[in-house]
Formats: sequence, C-alpha cells, structure tokens
Amino acid sequence: MYHIKQADIVIIGGGAAGSMAAIYAHRTDPNLRIAVLDKSKLETSGAAGRGMDGLNNMAIPPASEPEDLVQFYTLITEGVLDQEASYEFAKRCPRAVADLEEIMNRKKGDLFPVDEKGNYQLIDMHGIGKPFLLPMDGEEMKRAMAQAVRSTGAAVYDRTPAIKIVTVDNRVAGVLGFNIRNGEYYFFKTKAVCMTAGCAGRMGLGNSGYLAGTYEFPGCSGDGHAMAYDAGAELVNMECFQLSAKLKDHMGPICGFVAGPRGARTVNRVGEKSWIHPYSSGDSRLGVWKSYAEGKDPLFMNMDHLPEGNVKVIEKILFGTERTSRRLFHKNRGQDYRRPKSVEVEFSDDISICGGHNSSGVLSDCNGATCVPGLYVAGDVDGGVPHSMLGGAIAMGSLIGLRAAQYAANADMASIDGLKHWIHDEIETFEAPLKRDRGLPTHLVETKARSRILYYLKPPKNPDRLNIALWWMERIRREDLPRIKAADYHDLLKAHEIKSILLVGEMMAGASLFRDESRWGYFHWRLDIPEKKPDWEGCWVVTRKGVNGIEYVKRNVPPYKWDFSTSMEYKYPELSFDAGMPPAKPSPKRLEDGDSWTLGHIEKEGMDTPKRFMPKREG
Amino acid sequence: MEDADGGRFNESAYAWLEIDPERCNKCGICVDMCPMDVLHFGRKGYPYMRYRDDCWYCDVCTFMCPRQAITMTELPYLIS
Repeated sequence: MYHIKQADIVIIGGGAAGSMAAIYAHRTDPNLRIAVLDKSKLETSGAAGRGMDGLNNMAIPPASEPEDLVQFYTLITEGVLDQEASYEFAKRCPRAVADLEEIMNRKKGDLFPVDEKGNYQLIDMHGIGKPFLLPMDGEEMKRAMAQAVRSTGAAVYDRTPAIKIVTVDNRVAGVLGFNIRNGEYYFFKTKAVCMTAGCAGRMGLGNSGYLAGTYEFPGCSGDGHAMAYDAGAELVNMECFQLSAKLKDHMGPICGFVAGPRGARTVNRVGEKSWIHPYSSGDSRLGVWKSYAEGKDPLFMNMDHLPEGNVKVIEKILFGTERTSRRLFHKNRGQDYRRPKSVEVEFSDDISICGGHNSSGVLSDCNGATCVPGLYVAGDVDGGVPHSMLGGAIAMGSLIGLRAAQYAANADMASIDGLKHWIHDEIETFEAPLKRDRGLPTHLVETKARSRILYYLKPPKNPDRLNIALWWMERIRREDLPRIKAADYHDLLKAHEIKSILLVGEMMAGASLFRDESRWGYFHWRLDIPEKKPDWEGCWVVTRKGVNGIEYVKRNVPPYKWDFSTSMEYKYPELSFDAGMPPAKPSPKRLEDGDSWTLGHIEKEGMDTPKRFMPKREG
Repeated sequence: MEDADGGRFNESAYAWLEIDPERCNKCGICVDMCPMDVLHFGRKGYPYMRYRDDCWYCDVCTFMCPRQAITMTELPYLIS
C-alpha cells in the first residue's frame, strides 16, 4: 500500500544535521510543509543518539577564528578542499553553539564551559596552536533536537527510510520511502531535498564479524550516497577512506578527544607514541600502521599515571555519553583505567566513507548545494566541508535548511508523468526479495560484500587488489542480489542497504584506482605509487553517474583564498626486505619437462577422478 | 500493541537484555526508542529482542526505561 503526499522540503535522515535542517527551514518560512524521514527514531537516531561529549573542529572567537579552522582543514586535507565552503562552516560555528544552548534549554556555561570573561573554553589539541574542541555536557542533545523538530509541526516519519529520489529535468521532484514496521510506502512530491542520511559506515567488517558492531551508527549504510549519485549528484574523495581508532572489540572510539586532553596517552606496547599528529588524520593512521608493521602492537590507552580526579572525570564523560556500554565492556573484561596497558586500542577494520570524520562524500558548495537543483547535503554524507564532525552537522544542517527553504519558496512542484505506474513498478522491484519463496539470507550477502571490501580495499592499496574488489562488487550484484530472500520488512531494508554498500564499495575501489598517487597518509596509500604527485595537488576525483556506469573525473578544487600549508610531514615507507635466498644446491627437482606418471593416469582414466570409495580387497 | 509474528521469532532465545517483569509496565518506551528496531513487544506484552543481531549496544533502552526494568548483562558479540 502506498500514499502520495506533498511536502515543500523532504529531509532524508533525522540525525543532528537533518534535525537542524528541519528547524531552520521552519524558522525561515513557518508555512513550509516539511517532512522528515528517519530510518530509525528521531529521538535516538544517528551518530549522536546517546549525545556527545564535545563539538569538534569548531572556530569560536576569540579562542579561534574561522581562518584558523580553514588553515587546519587545508593542512589535513592536503589542499584537496573548497576553502570557501569550509570558511562558511567556520563562520557559522558560534551560531551553532548558541542554537544548541537554546534547543537544549541550557544556560551559558552549563552546556559548554566558559571562562571568567564568558568566553567559551576550547581545547587545543589539533597541532596547529589553535583550539577547536569545545567540550559539551550533551547526553540529551538528540532528544532535545527531536523535540524542537516535532514542535515545528513538521511531519516526522520514524522507521521510514527513503529509498529513492526522483528527478524531473534533472531537478528534485520526489522521494519514495517505506516504513520498516508496517510495509507502507510513501511518495512525497517535493521541491527540495535535504540529504542528511549519514556516512557509509558499514563498508568494512570488524574482526568480531558482528555486522552491527560498527564504529559508525550501523543505520548509516551509504544509502544517502547511493541516492544522491542516482539523482545525478557528484561525489568526491571516495578514495580517502576513514579508518578509526577504537576500543579493541568494542564499537566505541577510544575517545582521544576526551581522554587525551586530560592526560591519557595512547602508546604502543613499547611505550612509543604512535600518533604522528595529535588529530586523527591520515598521517596519524600511518603512524599506527607502523606500530603494527614493526610488531609493536597492541596499542594501549594508558591512564594509570593520572591522578584519581582525572580518571574519574574521564569515566564520568565516557560512561555517560555517546557509547556508554563501554562501562560494562570494561567491567566484563576486568579493565580498569587505573592500571597500565588495561585498555587495548584497535585499528578499526570497518572502513567507512565519512565527511564528518574525513573528507569524502557528496560534493556540495558553500551553501550545501549539490549540482542537482533542489538537492542539499550536510553532515556525514557531505563531502563539501571536510572533517566537519558534529559541529559541522549542526552548522551546515542549519544552513541547508535555510537554503532549501529559500529555494522551495521560488520553485514549482514538478509534474511527474505516470507517477502511479512508476510507484507500482518501483515497489514491485523493491519488494522482490520479500516475495521469493527462498533465497540467500541478507546477513550472509552482507558479510560476503563487507569481507571482500575489507580484504581488498583496506590500505595499503594496490591496483590488483582494487580491480579484484571491483570484480567482487559486480559479481555480488549480478549473482547474489537477485537471490536475496528478505524475511520481513525489517529485513527488506537490509537487502536494500546491501545495494548501497556495493555501490559505495565500487566507488571506493574505482576512485582509488583513478587517483594514481598516494595522499592523506594511510587513507589513500598506493603501494605501487607511494608518493604524492604534483599533478594531483589541489585536485579532486569526482565520482558521478555516467552513461555506462560510474565515471571518474579529475577536477581542480576552487582557487584558494588563503595560502596555507597543504603538506603534512610524513613519509611513505619503502616496503622491502631480504627474506633470504633459496639454497643453491641441490636445486629442487622439477617436473617441467612433463609428469609422465600423472599423464599415464590421464591416459587410463581421463580427467575424471575414479570413485575408489574403499580399496577393493579379494576374499 | 503488536504481537510476535506467528512463532517465527523465538522470544525465549538467548538475549543480553534482561527485562524484569516485576518492574516493566509494558509502556513501550524502549520499543519506541530503540534506534535499530531491535526491540518489539512479545506475546505477553513485554519487550524482547526480536532483531537481536542488529543491536548496537547503544544503551538507549536501559537509559530511557523510566522503571529501570532493563539490564544489559553483557556484550557478547563485542567479545566482552
């Protein structure tokens, strides 16, 4: 069963970015009809469903100016960025802070720390001498945002993922979604879409093999990237993978941004600091990889040297916000922050594509606009503002709500020919996995796809592995997708998500092949070309839909407004060593001239193997 | 209130969320708030982990329960 509805703006994904987009669209024009589609539940969905302990990468004067943040972004992206888009975000940081205080009804100094002059107290840990991390006591953030969204009168559709954006004459015209609890479909005729569906966080596979044990919120499976691509949007930096440092076996980050500034040290087993850069950039990950390669793993987060007060502060924050099950995890493992080498750190295997933690995603400009009229992006799906984290989701989510509202005010609702037939056909195709009598369980196909992605795409990369990854993505799409059996509507969403995982995996492999250099430290380390090339300076790989499938294009980033450094200080290692020589004599006896004994068997038996179940014995 | 689906789901299968029937008043907040759609009502009206293998261990259910009726006992898939 389906329903056809009308909305001036449809927001896909009700995380922090989507919630702020809804709030700002309503503020801009209270008469707008706004629909928010959330795969999950608005109050708890997304990466910050249990709140967050800080707003990261924020420029809050007088501690840090917008230009300072652009300087930092220019460095960690090694110049592959749109400085103007980053500057637009940086300018909006103070407003994002004020918005959160208002939405959460918290006084200044209560939600964020301030000094005696009333200035926000940010933490300097990004390595360029300016503070960008604003601590936050924000457990209830997401629920407060949801309350604010619902109070606007926006129509909120929980448990209703969007599955398709429809365009007419290359501009946004509609969105199809379905409810995973009751199987009802909704088609929204609309003028504008705010795409805030989060990262592609289910790409690789953690070593526990547990599909939902991801660093990123497991509901974020790259559907936003897939839908935007399908609608004609461009994506960038799909070769710049995110590999996170997290608690060994737990899905939580090590929270270096909480524990680090309070004195914790993340070191390898011989006590060396593995992080090159204090921020989680590609050079730091190269340092982590080095510890593993040199046999100096495991890594540990040590806090045993800290005064009890510091440890309690860290526990108060980490056990009460974001990934709170870490308390139980530590308890059951007998881990204690007060003991050395007690907390093991893991170099995550669940590779992701994330504009918040890194710089890949759907390309947007300084207004969050994509190349598809009416389609705006913000948050982890956005590749326009790199490393934007939660602060970026809030600031840029607000901006796209504003811009989408302005766009919708001047746009007509597109007429869609043959809509009912289209919806009918689309639903029939979409529900095929549900209607099969039998087939492959979704979890097996997802495991197959993600284990291939992990094995063939995890850096360091080489072209043969990347090509095999492409082969697997195509093969799974061709052979396994038509045979998936979904058990119910909840499971049907899984079948749909696998399509997104395969498409994003293909983009990751293809873009990694296309950028024939190495860059961003570990994130795009090509073993066959272990160096940055001058002709790739300031260039994106743009990934987009072509006539014959995905196409990749090299494009200069917009001209720099500031002449900041674009080079991090690291060097790709030369990987070669002498494993010894084979013995000179006696040389192994080879059968290069023919194996007459086996040839004799072939002559007698042909190529089939005789079925000698048991030796025949006489008598 | 929805019922479990015709025996396809095993309500008594191993689960790491313990629901205390003495405390639980079947209000459904946990079923409503679970971000991964793991929790559903069972035949007797108590929540259970219908889609157990989608649990992210996010702790929303235990935190949001106003009657402290839910306990997360372990994190088995996270090899605790």
